[in-house]
Amino acid sequence: MPLNSSCREDGDIIISSGDRLTIENAADFARIVHEAFGSSKNVAIEFESTVEIDITGIQIICSACKSAALKGSSFSYLGMRPQALADLIITSGAERHALCKHNNNATCIWFGGNNNG
Amino acid sequence: MMEQAIATYREEAGELLSELETSLLDLEETPEDTDLINRVFRAMHTIKGSGAMFGFDEIAAFTHEVETVFDMVRNGKMTVTKRLLDLTLKSRDHISALLDFSAGAGEVDRSIGDELIISLRQLLPQPESPPKGSSDIPAIQLPPVSVSELADEITWRIRFRPTRELLLCGTNPISLINELRALGTCHVVAQFDDIPLIDNLVGEQCYIYWDIILTTTRGEDAIRDVFIFIEDDCEIKIEMIDSSGLIDRDQGYKKLGDILVERGDLSPVEMQKILMLQKRFGELLVEQGIVTPEKVQSALVEQQHVKGVRQERSAAPQQEAAASIRVPAEKLDQLINLVGEMVTVQAHLSQVSLAGGDSTYIAIAEEVERLTNELRDTALNIRMLPIGSTFSKFKRLVRDLSQELGKEIEMETFGAETELDKTVIEKLNDPLVHIIRNSIDHGIEMPDVRTASGKSSVGTVFLGAEHSGDSVLITIRDDGAGLDRDTIRNKAIERGLLPANSEVSDKEIYAQIFAPGFSTAAKVTNVSGRGVGMDVVKRGIDGLRGSIGVDSVRGTGTTITLKIPLTLAIIDSLLVKIGKEHFVLPLAAVEECVELTREDIRNSHGRNLANVRGAIIPYIPLRKHFKIEDSRPDIEQIVIADIHGTKVGFVVDHVVGEHQTVIKSLGKMYRDVKGISGATILGDGTVALILDMAILLQSAENLEAAAV
Repeated sequence: MPLNSSCREDGDIIISSGDRLTIENAADFARIVHEAFGSSKNVAIEFESTVEIDITGIQIICSACKSAALKGSSFSYLGMRPQALADLIITSGAERHALCKHNNNATCIWFGGNNNG
Repeated sequence: MMEQAIATYREEAGELLSELETSLLDLEETPEDTDLINRVFRAMHTIKGSGAMFGFDEIAAFTHEVETVFDMVRNGKMTVTKRLLDLTLKSRDHISALLDFSAGAGEVDRSIGDELIISLRQLLPQPESPPKGSSDIPAIQLPPVSVSELADEITWRIRFRPTRELLLCGTNPISLINELRALGTCHVVAQFDDIPLIDNLVGEQCYIYWDIILTTTRGEDAIRDVFIFIEDDCEIKIEMIDSSGLIDRDQGYKKLGDILVERGDLSPVEMQKILMLQKRFGELLVEQGIVTPEKVQSALVEQQHVKGVRQERSAAPQQEAAASIRVPAEKLDQLINLVGEMVTVQAHLSQVSLAGGDSTYIAIAEEVERLTNELRDTALNIRMLPIGSTFSKFKRLVRDLSQELGKEIEMETFGAETELDKTVIEKLNDPLVHIIRNSIDHGIEMPDVRTASGKSSVGTVFLGAEHSGDSVLITIRDDGAGLDRDTIRNKAIERGLLPANSEVSDKEIYAQIFAPGFSTAAKVTNVSGRGVGMDVVKRGIDGLRGSIGVDSVRGTGTTITLKIPLTLAIIDSLLVKIGKEHFVLPLAAVEECVELTREDIRNSHGRNLANVRGAIIPYIPLRKHFKIEDSRPDIEQIVIADIHGTKVGFVVDHVVGEHQTVIKSLGKMYRDVKGISGATILGDGTVALILDMAILLQSAENLEAAAV
């Protein structure tokens, strides 16, 4: 399934990752996230378990998280965090156990390491 | 000072090469043993690193090649193969040759080194899609190994800030970070504060930058090399924040605030302001919004990293280093000589005090004797080394020779921890080489022959050592064809070594293999068969005042046992007297003393034979041998000794008693006098000669044979 988004009955936007969140579709991913925040206060990603992800994907997630915190919106994921993301968080040094000021000084649900997996 | 450091390097490199050989041979048996792989890598790494530091550039550059391969093995990118071990063993020999050459000894064939480098590089995994024309082996260009690149372990703080366009060029920053990880212990913290809100984000641009704390023995150049292809597309800041040279400082590390100030992420004024609030510093900074949690986390990572490195560095190895010191062997020899003199003076003191009869002086003399004995034992103990270091050389010998001869041979060792005097171990080398070469060449059969005779195709050579009183027993056993008793006997009779048609024990027959030039080999090989080897063994073992025993079963194998005294410096002996002269007989071979009356002499009718409890023992009258003319006592003493399995008596006037003999070598003038192996100084200052009983026996036999 390709990267896309859909709106649920309650107005929440669900972005489906498709099989990749890499530099090839980074522009699309950023645009979809941007548009999602334009039309909903609750945005979530539903990952394919075998999704391929690179550093651009991490940046977009972080940027979306910051944006959500600023707007008082929420940005989360549904189901399990995929293994590729968990691995990339560790190898890229993105793992965070500290609070995130961009997330209203709350714990980062995305990069809190394996505990969130 | 530098000369001393260079000499120490040579010595240590020699030890490391020896350790390396042992590890490689062990690795052949257990190729997946990560401890052994790490040991090989560490040995190479130290030889290279220290080599570069002390100007042994050629050794450092060559060793770098082998180290590179073992680094791949260590990281699971290659497996240990027989080919790799062959090449590494040969590389070890080449490094050894380079080391000898640097000390002005021997020659070095540099083409061997070049060939080894090509072969080692061929073992390295090739890239999946090599660029055009890269399949050829590159011309040999030894990489320069600079001192700076091989400095001690240093911790670096690296800030890697890519340009926004980096990702668009196809560069994956994670690969670069992984390359850094491969250089040492590494902690990475990605910094997100440059990532914009989603409205302003360009998906393909790179906003993340990284703080990396790396502890490595590789220098700054190695770190910069990682970024060499993107140096125009990133900003790299590398700062040294800790080095092993700072070990004397406390094991902790800078406070969090100090790190942030040093990095420029916090001003000293802000730090002071926050400190006043007395809360956890990191929390306060975040609360105040002065520093982001990411920055705090990054600084904490650095703090923990360096603390960990320092604690590790200050652990066991430091204690080990302090627990032992390196002393030149000559100083130990000097110590033993002085202890020898001390033993002699102490004997004199005891003699004089006893003669004087003053109980005070006798008590002091006894105390001095006790202390001297302790000092002697301690000094001798210092020179004791485990024989295991020699064993590893023989493992290599067995490996290489069996390959050369197309045989399958395993070596088993036992008692590697058995200690012997350093000099004795050195002198044992040649005899052991000859015995083991003979076992491999003549003893162990070819695999097909072994299989045909119902044996395993793989032969075994066993080398073991164990203590036995004041001696060490060294056993060399093989499960080969065994000695051919009849062929040896016939050959010995043919050469006049044994009388024809006489009853001779197996022991005596087997002893013939040690006769000069004796060989039953049908053909002479590169390995043995010239009949010179075992003669060398006998001379070597005689020189150590040791003895050799041979036992063999046809078709099953041969066992050679060497009995070697623990030390060559001071021996237990039997002090005897002939006329006014004292002589010393090594106690190890002495079995008993019996009386020899004038009647016994008459009854033997000039044949010099004594009847000892029914056994006929030939004896050598030493008075006659040394042409001592004084009057002979009515009752003489026969000192019966076991010389290579033969019982022989040595007739003396009196047996004085057991004696601690400090061996002094004879001067050049007397070095070749047969039957005398050295001299010692007695308590009263007179000199007593130490008798070589084996040579005396041989001389007597030769005289008798000449008379017949």
